[in-house]
Formats: sequence, structure tokens, C-alpha cells
Amino acid sequence: MKTVERIDQRSTEIINGYKVRPGKPLPFGASLIQNGINFSIYSSAGTSCTLVLFEKSQDLPLVEIPIPENYKIGDVYSLIVFDINSEEIEYGYRIDGPNNPTAGHRFNKAEILMDPYARLISGRDEWGKKPNWERPYPYRAGVPFDDFDWQEDRPLEIDPADLIIYELHVRGFTKSESSGVTHPGTYAGLVEKIPYLKQLGVNAVELMPIFEFDEFENSRIHPNTNEQLYNYWGYSTLGFFAPKAAFASTGKFGMQVDEFKQLVKSLHAAGIEVILDVVFNHTAEGNENGPTLSFKGLDNKTYYMLTPEGYYFNFSGTGNTLNCNNPVVRSLVLDCLRYWAAEYHIDGFRFDLASILGRDPWGAPLSNPPLLETLAFDPILSSCKLIAEAWDAGGLYQVGTFPAFGRWGEWNGKYRDCARKFLKGDQGQTGEMAQRVQGSPDLYKQSGRSPATSVNFITCHDGFTLSDLVSFNEKHNEANGEGNNDGNNDNLSWNCGAEGWSDNPNILKLRQKQMMNAMALLLTSRGIPMIVMGDEVGRSQHGNNNAYCLDSSISWLDWRLFDSNQILHDFTKALIHFRLKHPALRVNSFENKHTYSIDLPGCSFHGTNPWNPNWDENSKQLAWMMTSEPETINKEADVVYVAANMAHYASWYELPEAPKSYQWMLNFNTGDSNCQHLIYGCKLEQKGLLVGERSITIITASKINL
Amino acid sequence: MTLTIQSIEENQIVTLVLQGDVDTKTAPELLEVLTNLKLKEISHLKIELTAVNFMSSAGLRALIFAKQKMGHESIVSVVNANEEIKDVIIKTGLSTAVSFINN
Repeated sequence: MKTVERIDQRSTEIINGYKVRPGKPLPFGASLIQNGINFSIYSSAGTSCTLVLFEKSQDLPLVEIPIPENYKIGDVYSLIVFDINSEEIEYGYRIDGPNNPTAGHRFNKAEILMDPYARLISGRDEWGKKPNWERPYPYRAGVPFDDFDWQEDRPLEIDPADLIIYELHVRGFTKSESSGVTHPGTYAGLVEKIPYLKQLGVNAVELMPIFEFDEFENSRIHPNTNEQLYNYWGYSTLGFFAPKAAFASTGKFGMQVDEFKQLVKSLHAAGIEVILDVVFNHTAEGNENGPTLSFKGLDNKTYYMLTPEGYYFNFSGTGNTLNCNNPVVRSLVLDCLRYWAAEYHIDGFRFDLASILGRDPWGAPLSNPPLLETLAFDPILSSCKLIAEAWDAGGLYQVGTFPAFGRWGEWNGKYRDCARKFLKGDQGQTGEMAQRVQGSPDLYKQSGRSPATSVNFITCHDGFTLSDLVSFNEKHNEANGEGNNDGNNDNLSWNCGAEGWSDNPNILKLRQKQMMNAMALLLTSRGIPMIVMGDEVGRSQHGNNNAYCLDSSISWLDWRLFDSNQILHDFTKALIHFRLKHPALRVNSFENKHTYSIDLPGCSFHGTNPWNPNWDENSKQLAWMMTSEPETINKEADVVYVAANMAHYASWYELPEAPKSYQWMLNFNTGDSNCQHLIYGCKLEQKGLLVGERSITIITASKINL
Repeated sequence: MTLTIQSIEENQIVTLVLQGDVDTKTAPELLEVLTNLKLKEISHLKIELTAVNFMSSAGLRALIFAKQKMGHESIVSVVNANEEIKDVIIKTGLSTAVSFINN
């Protein structure tokens, strides 16, 4: 069959020696077409636009192509350039227009600007490699191929109620020499550690920012130690569509797109979902004193929330605030997430300071934020997990009230705070703790949401690690070079008797027990548990609760801890597998349905006496029992009874009567320092048990073999 | 550095013997040679890399290009690739399209 040669793939004119024709306004960004590249860029207030092409690794432009006025449709400039090799080309734009900051305009055609839709960004290809600060146009847009072979892979779509999330930093997870991987600190290094994650039992990783950022942003030398400080965490996006090159062992070859896709594919093959921590609340351009890299010079007034005087609102605490409910920005966010879901098979997103996404262009919280609604109902994102960090640095705190549209989950900061207080034996916590272990119905039930709305966590990247939570009363952030003034002061932590390092065996024993208690609490609560990298082996940051700038052993996971803290690791692993085996812990409804086959409620609370919880201010003893019907006719009903004693003395807990033809089996006891986990369970003959001081026991009911 | 490419055809097996570096400057030469082959009729394409130190993403893409033009049952192999080239192929997931042969 003969096909007609397409004439839209031929140029109509030549500009500065390059064959071009008017482009397609959509999609935005640079797209490969037959024989050329289609470029499309938006600027509403700009007066002219020039495409600047560079030969790879050359400082000066190869050519500048002014885009003719007749190539502009609406506010979008687009053109096709023919016969250029996408692999050899980097590109940017110059936009002319008014430079009047009071009116919100900061155009400067002397600057070369990066495409906000850049899918490949070069310039920081190898982590920590000192850049040439004089280089014009330091971060450069490129055009990747979309020819990765996914084979049978697709997003896993694990039921949210069954998720167990492991939050990690791509570089920090394997950068330590102790990791033993071939490519430390990279996507490829993480691939090598997938067997570890699989045996641990987690089924989702939440990756701290992997959108391109500059580790040298705000980099400085520590005033006392002379240590180089970086933007290590990466909560400062340069490009929303590009994976960080320096996290790829092949970044120096420009192959970060493929390497990251290979990571996602490999994690999926191991049954592990990939959730990205995305930062749409601000960009790396800072405030009026910050650099002009992209948005500022393209259409400042569209992309940023500005005061009436043209200054930047700072709801993010980092200089500027992305104007998320401007329709153009809204489309950018939507396009971005669709791209990651479709092109990278990403399973979910966690939105940093998500409350900003619900503010109007003047900063006021919206009751029905269009962006959050759009994301909730988008057809491409319909299976993606959407998780909000439901607060911002401007004082908006929306845990329990985040506009969810039936879709959004939340990092439950109230779970963290209550669990921390309960664990250290604070007064008056049993009532709230009962809410938290059920999935926080007090926060989510009334609005029709379910327990899996709540991402439960006790620690995350931001704040103390679990080991530090039980070793420090105060933060110790001196290594950040800010005079210990950064980071949260209200950590709700307890050092168990000595601040920091100790060789007192009693203190060390108590700390280990408290870490186990935390894991036991977290992994027997309904909702989605989240563990932060290394907590399962007692990773310490030496009391630093804000290690955002430390690319060092303080932040990296030391894999030797797997030997020294094997007991904690094995305990956590056993608990994770226990959770996966027990559907009663993962019931995703607040209905509290009766489990008729064993005549017990779906969730009930107890004290030292069964069916009689003590909600008094002084009470530090709480037990909960969760049940569910047999999953199949041959299976047993599921019953898990957890007795938590956070008092400094042991208490006798009388057990509820076991269901007919069932018997109680002891599975975990953090109070037994010789055997915290009983692999085969231990039959409980008596009607109760002694729960040691600051200890948690976990009991199940098994059918009696007749 | 220049790249020389010698093509040996035997039945439906084609071996390209490369010498030099396959970088952004020389990869188009490889692509041109591949384009001129009757890829659909080849059952096995061997890329002999004994005398190649470096292969850029452009070079690797050329192999993927060939694989996509060849029949479903056909094979693309790199022969005697050095560890770095092999490593890049594995880390970027291209090993689903390209197999390794060590002589």
C-alpha cells in the first residue's frame, strides 16, 4: 500500500539558516516529530519570543531563531525546526516584555529561560560536581526519547488499605559505602536494594523529591567545620517534568529518563509501588532577590502569587509561592502529573505543603479548590494515590479538613503527635489514641472518608528519626550551620534518661523497647502506615531533626546497622508481615461492622479489664481488638488484640473471652527482652497476661484444632 | 575520534565490527549503516564492540532503532562490550532489547 507523503513535515521558510514552519501549540514543551522538533511555549505578557538552540556542552548558542509573530496563537508561541538532532541539541528561550516588578512583570531578554515543560534537564549531571558559575544558561532543557520498553509493566493499583509505605531518599539510601552497591546513591543503586525492600515486606516506596533540582542551590560552607552544605533533600524544583540527572548513574550520558524508568519497572516487578514526593508549592527561583531561571522571565504574574506591590507571597517558607489556582498553572500541574503517571507508570503522589494548592491567587484558602478537584477526577490519574501534606508554612493546617473530593489521602500529623505523646507516657492520651488506631474517624468519618485516608506515621524525613525520637529531648542541628535555630522545637520526644549517646544498658534497652513500641503501634493501626528509611534498624541523625543540607553519613543509611540492630530489624519485618497477614488491621471502613461468625465487634477498646477502657487523664493503659470475617469459607475469622501499657509499671490485663472454639495466641511482646517476637505464637492458657512497663503485646485468636 | 564500521553478512546474520568511539558525533554514522541494512530480513544482528571504549546514548539508541525495525523473533546482540557499556545497557533497561555475547 502506498502512503501519501505528509507535507506538514516540510519547512515553509528558513530563519537564520534553519528550516522551520509554524508549530503546533499543543502539547507544550519540545516534542519529537518526523524530521524535527516541535517547540511550544506560553507567555501572556511577553512581546516576543526567541528560541535559543545550543549544541550539547557548548557554552554559547548554536543559533537563535526569533519566532515570527504569525507563529503565535493566543498566548502560545510554537514552531517546528527541521533537521536538527534532538540528542545533540539543548534549548531555551528569550522573552521580551515589560520589566516592571510593581506590575508583576520581570521580562529580561538578556536571560535565556528554561522551558517549564522540559523533560530532560542537563547542567547538574553528576552530584556535587562543582558547576561553572559563569556559564550562561546553567540548566538546559533537552528532548528525551519515549521509547523505553515497559514490556508488561503497568501501575500496580494496590488497594490503598493494604499499603505499607517506606519513605526514602534516593541518594541517601545507598550512598554509604556500606550499602555495597555498584552505583551508590543512584536509581540503579536502589534497584540493587529491591530484594531488601521485598524481604522487609513494604509494598510502596515514597521517594523524596526526584524532580530536577540543584544541589548547589543555597549551598554554603559550614562556618565552623568547613563542610560543604548542599540542598540535599531537594524540595526546590527546577523542572517539574524531568527526573534528577545526578540521581542516575547514567546522568552523565543524559540517560536519567531510562534509568529512572528501569527503577520503576524493577520495583513493580517486585510488587512495590512508587509514590513521588512532589513539590508544587514553590520553585527554585526564590523571591525578588533570587535568580531568573524560567517562570519569572516567562510570565511572572501568571506563575507566582504576588502581593499588590509585586513582591512574592511566601506561604512555602522558601521565598515564593506557585500560583496553583491560576488556570494556566493548574494545567501545568495536571499535565505534569499525567505525564509521570502515563510515561513513568508512577503509582501515586505525595504533595509537599499541599494546603498551598488550595489557596486562591491572593493566598486565601478556597472551599472547593479547582486544582484539587481537577486532580481528584482526572481520568489518567484515577488510579493514582493522591496524598496531601495537609498544611503549609503560611499557617493553614487542614489535617481532617483537606478538600478531599473523595480521593485525597493525608499525611496524618495528628497521628504522629498523639502517638509520640502516648508512647512517652503523657497524660490524657488514651482517648485520642483510640481514634488514631482506628484510622482517625474523628477526622475523616463525618465527611464520608475511610481509614485509608490517613497515612499514619510517627517519623518521616522531616524531624527526628525513630532512634533520635527515643534518644533526644532537644534538637541538635549545629551541623546545619544555622546556630541550631532551624528545625522544629516541639518534637514530643523523650530521651529515656540521657541526652544522646549513652552506654547505660538500661537506657539502651528502654530505647530499643520504645522503638519497638512505636512500630507495634504504627503497624497495628488502621490506615496506611509509613516508615522512614532506616528506622527499622535504628538510624540516627545524632539529634538533627532537619538534615536538609547534609549530604553525609548523618543523612545516609548506614547498612552496618543491619548487623548491630538486627533484633529491631527482624521485629519490624515480622510486624510488617503480620500486618499483611491480618485483614482485621486493614479494614477500610468506619462502619464498625459486627463480625457475626465470632460474635465480636469489628473494633473495640479495652482497659486492664475487658470491655472497659479507661479514658481517665491518668490512664496509660489501652487495648484494642480488631476483627474481620473469614476471607474465604475455609479460613478463620481474624482477631487481633493489642494491649499497650505506657505506664512505668507493669499491669495485669484481663483478656476478653476468646471466641468460641478459638484460643488466644501471643505473637509479640516488646516487654520480653529475650523474645519480642514469637515466630509460631504461644498459646495463652490463662485468662489474662502481665504487660510489662512501657510495653505492647499483640495477641491473635486461632481456631482450636480438635 | 573516528569510527570505522565493517559489515559482514552471512545468511541472515549480519555482524557490524566497530572500531573507535560511538559518541554524538559518530553515532549518526552507525545509524546510517543500520538504516541501509535490510533490517526486516535479518534474523540476528551482532554489534562487535571489542575495539570500542565508549558508546553514548545516541549509539545505544541506534541499536534500539535497529531492533524496532527488525522482525519480532530477531535478535540484536552486542559482542565483547566492555563493562561500562554493558552496565549502561543494563541500568537503563535497554537489555530487554539487546543481549550480550562474550567471545
